[in-house]
Amino acid sequence: MSGDAVYREHEADLVVLRRETVATDVVALTLADPAGDALPGWTPGAHIDLVLDEGLTRQYSLCGALRDRTSFRIGVLRAPDSSGGSQFVHDALKEGSQVRVRGPRNHFALVDAPRYIFVAGGIGITPLLPMIESAQQRGVPWTLAYGGRQRASMAFGDELARHGDRVRVWPQDEEGLLDLPAILGDPRPDTLVYCCGPEQLLSAVESQCATWPPGALHVERFAPKPAEPAAAADSPFELVLQRSGITTVVPADQTILEVVEGAGISLLSSCRIGTCGTCEQEVIAGDIDHRDSVLTSEDREAGEYMMICVSRCRSERLVLDL
Amino acid sequence: MSRLAGNYPLNCWYVAATSDEVGRGLLGRTVLGQPVLFYRLRSGAVAALEDRCPHRSLPLSYGTLSDDEVVCGYHGMAFGPDGGCVRVPSQENVPYGARARSFPVREEPPFVWIWMGHPATSTLSDPPAVPWLRDADWATFGETLQVEANYLLLHENALDLTHFPHVHPGLSPSPYLGTPPRLEIEVTETTVSYYRDFPPSPLVDWQARTTGLPQDRDYAQRESGELVSPGLHVDRMHVFATGDGGDGAGSYDKILTRAFTPLGPRSTVVHWQVSRNYLTSQPQVSDQLRAVHHATLTADKRLLEAIQARADRFGAGEEFNVSADVAGLRAHRIIEDMLSAERGWQPARTGMPAVR
Repeated sequence: MSGDAVYREHEADLVVLRRETVATDVVALTLADPAGDALPGWTPGAHIDLVLDEGLTRQYSLCGALRDRTSFRIGVLRAPDSSGGSQFVHDALKEGSQVRVRGPRNHFALVDAPRYIFVAGGIGITPLLPMIESAQQRGVPWTLAYGGRQRASMAFGDELARHGDRVRVWPQDEEGLLDLPAILGDPRPDTLVYCCGPEQLLSAVESQCATWPPGALHVERFAPKPAEPAAAADSPFELVLQRSGITTVVPADQTILEVVEGAGISLLSSCRIGTCGTCEQEVIAGDIDHRDSVLTSEDREAGEYMMICVSRCRSERLVLDL
Repeated sequence: MSRLAGNYPLNCWYVAATSDEVGRGLLGRTVLGQPVLFYRLRSGAVAALEDRCPHRSLPLSYGTLSDDEVVCGYHGMAFGPDGGCVRVPSQENVPYGARARSFPVREEPPFVWIWMGHPATSTLSDPPAVPWLRDADWATFGETLQVEANYLLLHENALDLTHFPHVHPGLSPSPYLGTPPRLEIEVTETTVSYYRDFPPSPLVDWQARTTGLPQDRDYAQRESGELVSPGLHVDRMHVFATGDGGDGAGSYDKILTRAFTPLGPRSTVVHWQVSRNYLTSQPQVSDQLRAVHHATLTADKRLLEAIQARADRFGAGEEFNVSADVAGLRAHRIIEDMLSAERGWQPARTGMPAVR
């Protein structure tokens, strides 16, 4: 029975060591253990959850130095129309404040390649900073195109300046939208494209990269991918949890995650809207209806993993390695 | 997913040797399937070169150490600690670009760590911290053991203690024998750890002998373990004494530090160290603990070698998982993600590469 194992992510109360305004409406927070203990290791592209008030949880990419094991740095944009996470960070987290942190985890991992093109929109620059540090250290050629509304709203420009003309800062009010055909060029088999930013940018890069080799484009979304045209109403299916020896049913109005939790099984979950990747599970059998914003089209085709907070099953039976 | 093949990340610190093994001689050793030469410079620092003369491929460990240079035993070519060829006896000039590969090394006694991946990326991380191995408040001893099995089999074995009462019945702490209490598992992007809290129960013979605590009393215990990296596993055992019966109150802690270093796909070197924070000045306690760990590590070695040998002969078979395997499964996932990032290019998560 899985009931005798409790599975959770690393969680810790960290303190805000430093808070700096790094651009209009953007603060960079440096978080550390109050006792100065080492923090868990992470790799470029990783993010953490800030567990804010009343169950409000938000994901922020780590953008500090890779070798620094004593602090996490995040960049937070104040988004007035958001559901309140960034407002809370801006208004309530001062130097010395304590905040609950979960993770890190990584669903935007930097894969080894001979060459990279990085494309950032606004605060989407954050996960790309450690990627650039890694590529630079390895001596791998890379370029960054960094778009934003205006220069003053674009964070970390000063840190990027030392990279010279590898970095092209592209404020919209001065130069218009990113010229993606020129930035990306023709598809190249030796190049990976990493892009993070608002949905509009991600969709544009996705369509520009349609003719690139599969697996060449890696994107990270801050918000769930816009829902595809609604299919017919969800239907129930049988759920088999192989390791636990449980067979049950997922009704039309419940998620797999809810049913698994209801069966008394401990597993990891965080955002519950298909963006953070925490609840990912290995699939043994079943025709998966992927509805998350994490897996790439190659992952989906492979059909080995699914995010059980939002995704469902088209066949009558789904078997999970749980 | 094959856990029996060449499935170790290169971009990771591994223990290549213990400090006392590296001196002013030439130490040739296989690490991650590659021959490596270790020696100590006059400054005390450790150098690591590929153990192959780039001229005619004689292992450099067949040569001699002269000052800080390695002199090949075939034609007398000399190489500096960075691998660069500094002398060719038969001609005046050294050919441009003549060099042996060198590897980043970090010594933190008792361990000498090596980075076999991209040399420049070694500066982006440090070897895992194991401060208790050098802490004066702890007594530590260690040995090296070779196990003819893939290193992931060793990690799986270390991350699951439900095998303990079955493989080590005479040595298993008494709480293990009943239904195990809840297993608490914690994950991060790069690590997985677990702990179990055992309700008060009597100590078994070796625990009583090595702690000096009486056997007619009950003690709460906690055991924990962590996959710190593909190259390191740390186990802790705590016996909590309340001091009621005149025994010394406090936590009697024992740490088993195991550095797993793949020699190749089917062979692993284990540099193990046992540390304790009690009776630190009593050498007989070290002897007793040494005997206990010898027994458990040897029994595990025998099993893991049988699993590897069976797979080599008949192929990896289908396996099923139970809930106690969850930490081991997570370890697979962490390492699989590291491997797929290193493999580059291919879509992630296509399973571990099977090296044939």
